[in-house]
Amino acid sequence: MRFVSFRPATSVLAITALLLIVTAPSQAQTRAETLRYVTGASVNTLDPNIPGSTRESFALSMSTYDRLVAFGRKQLNGKWVFDLDTITGELAESYEVSPDGLKLTFRLRKDAKFQDGSPVTAEDVKWSLDRCVTAPILGKAQLLTGSLTSADQFKVIDPLTIEVTLPKPDKLALPNLATVYPMIINSKVAKEHATADDPWATAWLKEHTAGSGAYVVESFKPGEQVIVKRNEDWNRGSANKPAFFKRIIVQSVPEPATRANLVERGDADLVLDLQASDVQSLEAKGKLKVVSTPQYNAITYVSMNNQIPPFDNVNVRRAIAFALPYDDMFKAALFGRGSPLFGATWADGKPANGIYPFQQPVKLDLDKAREYLKAAGLPEGFSTTFSFNVGQASTAEPMAALVKESLGKIGIKVDIQKLPDAQMSTQINEKKLPFYTEGIVAWLPSTDYFYRNFYTGNQRWNYSSINNPELAAIAQEARFEPDKAKYEEAGRKLNAMHFDLMPQIMLWQPNQDAVMAPSIEGYTYEFHRQVDYRDVSRK
Amino acid sequence: MTGLGATLVRAGRRLLSSLPALFGVLVFTFLLMRVLPGDPAVFFASGPNAGKEEIELIRKQMGLDRSVLEQLVFYLSDISHGNLGRSMMTGQPVLKDLRERLPASLELTFTALLIALIAAVPLGVIAALRPGSVIDHGVRLFCALGVCVPTFVSGLLLIYVFYYLLGLAPDPTGRIDVFTSLPPQRTGFLSIDFLLAGDLEGWWTACRQLILPAVSMALFVIAPLARITRASMLVSLGSDFVRTARSVGLSWRKVVVTYALRNAILPVITIAGIVFSTMLGANVLVEKVFSWPGVASYALDALLSSDYAPVQGFVLLMASLFVLVNLVVDICYGIADPRVSIE
Repeated sequence: MRFVSFRPATSVLAITALLLIVTAPSQAQTRAETLRYVTGASVNTLDPNIPGSTRESFALSMSTYDRLVAFGRKQLNGKWVFDLDTITGELAESYEVSPDGLKLTFRLRKDAKFQDGSPVTAEDVKWSLDRCVTAPILGKAQLLTGSLTSADQFKVIDPLTIEVTLPKPDKLALPNLATVYPMIINSKVAKEHATADDPWATAWLKEHTAGSGAYVVESFKPGEQVIVKRNEDWNRGSANKPAFFKRIIVQSVPEPATRANLVERGDADLVLDLQASDVQSLEAKGKLKVVSTPQYNAITYVSMNNQIPPFDNVNVRRAIAFALPYDDMFKAALFGRGSPLFGATWADGKPANGIYPFQQPVKLDLDKAREYLKAAGLPEGFSTTFSFNVGQASTAEPMAALVKESLGKIGIKVDIQKLPDAQMSTQINEKKLPFYTEGIVAWLPSTDYFYRNFYTGNQRWNYSSINNPELAAIAQEARFEPDKAKYEEAGRKLNAMHFDLMPQIMLWQPNQDAVMAPSIEGYTYEFHRQVDYRDVSRK
Repeated sequence: MTGLGATLVRAGRRLLSSLPALFGVLVFTFLLMRVLPGDPAVFFASGPNAGKEEIELIRKQMGLDRSVLEQLVFYLSDISHGNLGRSMMTGQPVLKDLRERLPASLELTFTALLIALIAAVPLGVIAALRPGSVIDHGVRLFCALGVCVPTFVSGLLLIYVFYYLLGLAPDPTGRIDVFTSLPPQRTGFLSIDFLLAGDLEGWWTACRQLILPAVSMALFVIAPLARITRASMLVSLGSDFVRTARSVGLSWRKVVVTYALRNAILPVITIAGIVFSTMLGANVLVEKVFSWPGVASYALDALLSSDYAPVQGFVLLMASLFVLVNLVVDICYGIADPRVSIE
């Protein structure tokens, strides 16, 4: 009897002892082989195609999935940036563009395997591309810009060859296949999780991956952190070997000051979204590596709604363009960290080249601004509101104050309006804001693409709501212009029109400041403006 | 009926009577979110090529293409099935998000409240025992400082000193060091789960992460607790029964702790209850500064992006917690002073 009554106590002891042995601290991973990346944003889906997915989700998918092709990289002022003009194979071993530009043929790598070990076949490629243009997902609108709209355009020739046909020789078709969305999914696995309502397995792929990428998702906590480990079989990198880091931790740290502390103390290896002031002081201390790349596919504007009076008058817009204190704004908002798009001198009054964005010949000149206001019939000025969103307050707030002060000098009374992000995007979409600052980004920055997407149509990204048939026609024609000289000519014409009509004012291209431990190498500015974890390594 | 049984019956009745209020909160938040300017569909369709089609798609996914009344009916029926909807922000069901994040917030708030009480009650008592003395003024100064420094400032200061300068504290990124493996989840409270798993080293890491955010929260609430303790101690020290106790030569301890403090503790419990509920919702700044994966920062992010479901879920959760906390406070009354009934 005595033994019986003792048993619970002894078994508790035994179990505790056992637990202590089993849960002995797991061996610490070698810190040097791990990349800890901290960010203010977060990954919210493993499939970047899901509406609402964040930029961090885009970046993660670049490492968990492969595409047919990838952008190369080039040096721009000594910094590595993605190169739109060099397209190399990723899952494709080689590709051919037919002489008429209507057929793209991709030959797949024979050794490419999905993360579950099954080979990557042309069937998988077709299923993935079909999904991109058919399913109600983000890829659809993106591929549309490369004339890829229907599943009929993708044809399996043999298990390792796939052919893409185009209705027109579209320059952007091939680059589009290197963007985030047309990732190649293991169709066998995905189909197993497809349902009648969801034939493209969007619900399942949101929380699982089935790719062939360089990294395998180990744990995914939406809004907190993602941990991925290296796919040892991946060989799509430049030197035919797996990615450098064994493990990558993508962690959300909402407070920018904390992110700065983390990287300065060496607890984090890489961070992109620090406040400009922190970057400056970290750079001055010289302990860390700071790579500042002008985001050459992004632009910050001061936009005016060309349909709302008084901004429907071109002279009012010109007056504003000459009344902004550009230099002070550039210093106050960005601490001068970026490429200015103002202050050019056009010797013959014509744009220097046909590339958009370009530096406009505008500068602070209050007398000129007053003349333009007089020409517009508003010598006494007027009142308006200037809006920006809370998410950009750190740069937009000082800027707004300077705009208000300077425009006050020519009689324009400005009320500053700070809007929550969702409210701002709604009002922009509904074309209700007269005067505001916003930014844009284009994944495939070519002149015609910018003009077609940001200066035409009654749609959200046409911030200035400009409706100029001539400009729209030139941009549309340039899209399919094979002759480089003629394309350049069209670009010059568009840029000249931009300065003449002044639909909105290009301010600058902000730098992206990547702050990293001195041992980190290979960081490249990518089109999605995030880190491609496959690029980086440690000395 | 025994005392405990009666208390439970009363508690149950009290709980039932709070249901209409909860329902009201539910409907009110629902309508409020829809009245607020800002279209979540437009916000979430922000890919570089998202156009009208994507906006419509998201609107349909979120059910925003239906009338508000229809949406409300669907929402209520979902709630009765225990479904709080899906967050656009994290892509997860709101219930799952809240279930994962609530323990984090609770653990932080409980710890902070505990630290605050341990610090505030003795401070208040000491100040009351020597009113007008240097100690009393010192306590007052300390309280004033605690209240007038916002929590994110004290949080950032603590990080700067203990993490950045001294290197004593672990990096302020969440509940646990990224390189430590998590214990099997039982309660969701890491400090308890680690103990249950018998992992003392892990327990210590979790506690180290907890100290700085808990202290910066506690600093802010020590003031109301200490001030109320002082005030009610003064009243009770000046009352007849304490004078009598003193005159019959009872020990200092017996007079101050047993008679004076026990009688003075009621208002402190009330304030502690209120402070707790406020802290749970208002610790958003601390959660942001320390990257603490709690419910408050979750709700704030959702609110900024007009993500309806999480905000509604959060308000419902807070309302339910508030009801619970009030109940617990009432029961505590009964224990502290048996003359009080919660009817």
